[in-house]
Amino acid sequence: METFFQLLFGGLQTGSVTALAALGIAIIYRTSRTTNFAQGTIGMFNAFIATFGLIHMNMTPWMAAIFGMLASFLTGVAVDLLIIRQAKKSSPIAKQIITFGIIMIFLGAAPMLFGVVPLSFPSFLPTGHASIMGAAISHNALLNIFIGVVAAGLLFLFLQYTRWGLAVRVTASNETTAKLMGVPTSHVTMGAWAVAAALGTLSALMLAPAISVNVSMMDTVQINALIAGVIGGFQTFYGPVLAAYIIGVSRNLLLFYVSSTWGEPLLFMFILLFIVLRPNGLIGKKIVKKV
Amino acid sequence: MQNILKHNYTKYIVFGIIISLMPTLAGIGLIRSASVIVLGAVIFYGVVAIGLNILLGFSGLISLGTAGFMGLGAYMSAYLTEILGLPFLLSLAISVVVPVIIGSLVGLVSLRVSGMYLAIATLAVSEVFRLMFSEFTDITGGFSGMRASFPSFFGISLSRDTTFIFLVVILVLLMILTDNFVNSSVGRALLTMRVSETAASAMGINLLKYKLMAFALATAYAAIGGVMYVHFIQFSFPTVWTVMLSLQILAAVVIGGIKTIFGPIIGAFVVFGVPELFLNRLPIIGDIPGLAFMFTGVLIIVVILFYPNGLIYLGHDIKRLWLKNRKSQKGGETA
Amino acid sequence: MTILKVENLSIAFGGLKAVDDLSFSVNQDEIYGLIGPNGAGKTTVFNCITQFYKPNQGKILFNDTDLVLKATHNIIKLGLVRTFQNVELTRDLTLLENLLVGAHISYKYGLFANSFKLPKAKKEEKEIAARGEGILDFLGLLDKKNELTGGQPYGILKKVELGRTLMSNPKMIILDEPAAGLNDTETIELATLIRSIRTQYNCSILLVEHDMRLVMDVCDRICAISFGKKLAEGTPKEIQQSTAVQEAYLGISDDTEVD
Repeated sequence: METFFQLLFGGLQTGSVTALAALGIAIIYRTSRTTNFAQGTIGMFNAFIATFGLIHMNMTPWMAAIFGMLASFLTGVAVDLLIIRQAKKSSPIAKQIITFGIIMIFLGAAPMLFGVVPLSFPSFLPTGHASIMGAAISHNALLNIFIGVVAAGLLFLFLQYTRWGLAVRVTASNETTAKLMGVPTSHVTMGAWAVAAALGTLSALMLAPAISVNVSMMDTVQINALIAGVIGGFQTFYGPVLAAYIIGVSRNLLLFYVSSTWGEPLLFMFILLFIVLRPNGLIGKKIVKKV
Repeated sequence: MQNILKHNYTKYIVFGIIISLMPTLAGIGLIRSASVIVLGAVIFYGVVAIGLNILLGFSGLISLGTAGFMGLGAYMSAYLTEILGLPFLLSLAISVVVPVIIGSLVGLVSLRVSGMYLAIATLAVSEVFRLMFSEFTDITGGFSGMRASFPSFFGISLSRDTTFIFLVVILVLLMILTDNFVNSSVGRALLTMRVSETAASAMGINLLKYKLMAFALATAYAAIGGVMYVHFIQFSFPTVWTVMLSLQILAAVVIGGIKTIFGPIIGAFVVFGVPELFLNRLPIIGDIPGLAFMFTGVLIIVVILFYPNGLIYLGHDIKRLWLKNRKSQKGGETA
Repeated sequence: MTILKVENLSIAFGGLKAVDDLSFSVNQDEIYGLIGPNGAGKTTVFNCITQFYKPNQGKILFNDTDLVLKATHNIIKLGLVRTFQNVELTRDLTLLENLLVGAHISYKYGLFANSFKLPKAKKEEKEIAARGEGILDFLGLLDKKNELTGGQPYGILKKVELGRTLMSNPKMIILDEPAAGLNDTETIELATLIRSIRTQYNCSILLVEHDMRLVMDVCDRICAISFGKKLAEGTPKEIQQSTAVQEAYLGISDDTEVD
């Protein structure tokens, strides 16, 4: 039973990391109509900036994290202003390819500015364990789960109950109508990219203590976040988050109880099977395309 | 002459003959022999890019599994020839058929839902392959890599230079075959589907069948490219077959020019040739890490936003601009 | 003889009934019009017939085959083909090539034969291209056969789309607002074209149209619908005199389209 809880909390922790990234992807999908494959890479880049603050500006990990998230806000705004906005009229495929271009730019920029050596970023809570059902869970793991849940929760409240949240939801459901109704859709889109970048950075910083800050640190997170989007459906904001936690936990269980080599491929197989059976996701609704 | 170039395979064959001369040029010291290896890479990545163009350019679908399937072809052919001692041509056939079968299954599942799912599903599959390449050390050699030798068939063993020419032959052959079917009912069906799925299905085009066909073809070309890679470079490491490589190949297609045969080759030269041959040789900035990615990333965005037909039209457009200029100058003189 | 029979067709989108218990039938070699105010559900009826939407209820019989059981891409094989409101042609292809797409179901040879340009595939392409040229000639566009479709005037695009439907040797063509975007001369030309398609290619025509002159001019019979329900059916004259139809039009829009 201890092992199970150990795995469960470990899974929830990875789930949180994935959930934040997935949430960013969902926000961009809804406001810019594109699947942002660069979510992880933008997070990685700003994790480097946070680590730079930590090492060269004597910041504490907390300050560095805030510094990194502020930087990511600016990164998101810049990406929207310089690239995404210019591609307004491009086809969905073209927009998609543009996000691939963004990946390459940041993958090139990171080693250019911060060197090729992986850097280390400490845990927010370096010591302390809690005992839950006999399993020793580090305080940092609990904090990460907490951050994931709270960030997702705050975002829901923001979307549901604020004027800006309403603007986002209106833009998400129909941009042209939103524009006609006087919603500043371009601000909404810019905000979406900024918030998504910040979520990606937070996600990267939560992961950093375990695997160091390096250019490929977010590869797995990116894949899992996209899959979470597919399973949870992009039509809602909570679907991907829920799916992220499910993926995190089931991956951990499969890796331990089934096979450490085959666990991951097996998970992907299950996911493909799931897509066959429920093509519109966990909570998806079928959309009839107008001809 | 124009007509000959336009209406049959002469342009592909002439192109093939010209690049076949590269090893000879290196032999007499006109170009450096390291450049021949870079050009070889341009050729096998070019083959993969031509395949991806069928998917991306002609059917408007995105795959991020290109490198994974390429790696699968490479490892399989290395294993079949080196460890099992199968003849090269047989191993080539098996190393293409198996990835195509796996690819078709992945495609069948994801394409039934939506085009976008293909990108995500192939990304996941690519990740699984990458894990397998590094984990299954008994078969793949893990991180110490897997060796392969130059191809040999019909009793002839090729050298580095003749392997290069063999790669050129495969490239030219595939260019001709691709040109043929792209300009047939198959190619027209793909283009129609890309523009309007509704119109396509009203005309009797089975969307799933054609999407699957395009994806299976892209996978086949990727696997062929993988086999070419491993028997030219003679080594395969798991670190080569990353999503980054898939993105670079995709960039090659977009930058060179979608919906064309020569475009992906030009793109492969820009993405895989230019950094190695020129950028990294530049004083001072040549040593900056990440330069090649930055270059490709900026180029892909610039091309999509401002020059969506790709660099293949550059010559054409410059010529037109020049003619126009000359015309207006002439007009000025007579007036 | 009846060629198309729509029986008790109903379809709803999120509780809103777009088509409600609609029945009508089209005879062999007839030009039949479907009219109604904006949002009456005309195009939805078309999409149900061509299986882009699966109806919630009702039968659609084409030569006694129930279409509801068929996949969208198999409809054309039965001899039923359609055009689209906003012309859906491929810009990268020439006029002739776009026509060849309409003959997609006639091609027997696929990827392999075409990659290697086997003689049988070449012969097939030649034969179908000849058919395409015949149709372009009929449309008066033969001299433009090798021009790219992108950039052609709208009137020509409309004709090419019509030509594309003819390539499948159809028994019935469904036209979705063929006169939309055409000027007066072009509309008159279109009416002539529709009539000559019927005589030269022996097929029935079902059309949805806003332009009342065209409908009254070419149709043998007309079915008027409003809010997915049938208002009246009959000859153009009968429809013009129907009070139900007049009310529906007058009640919904200010500009009366019925002269």
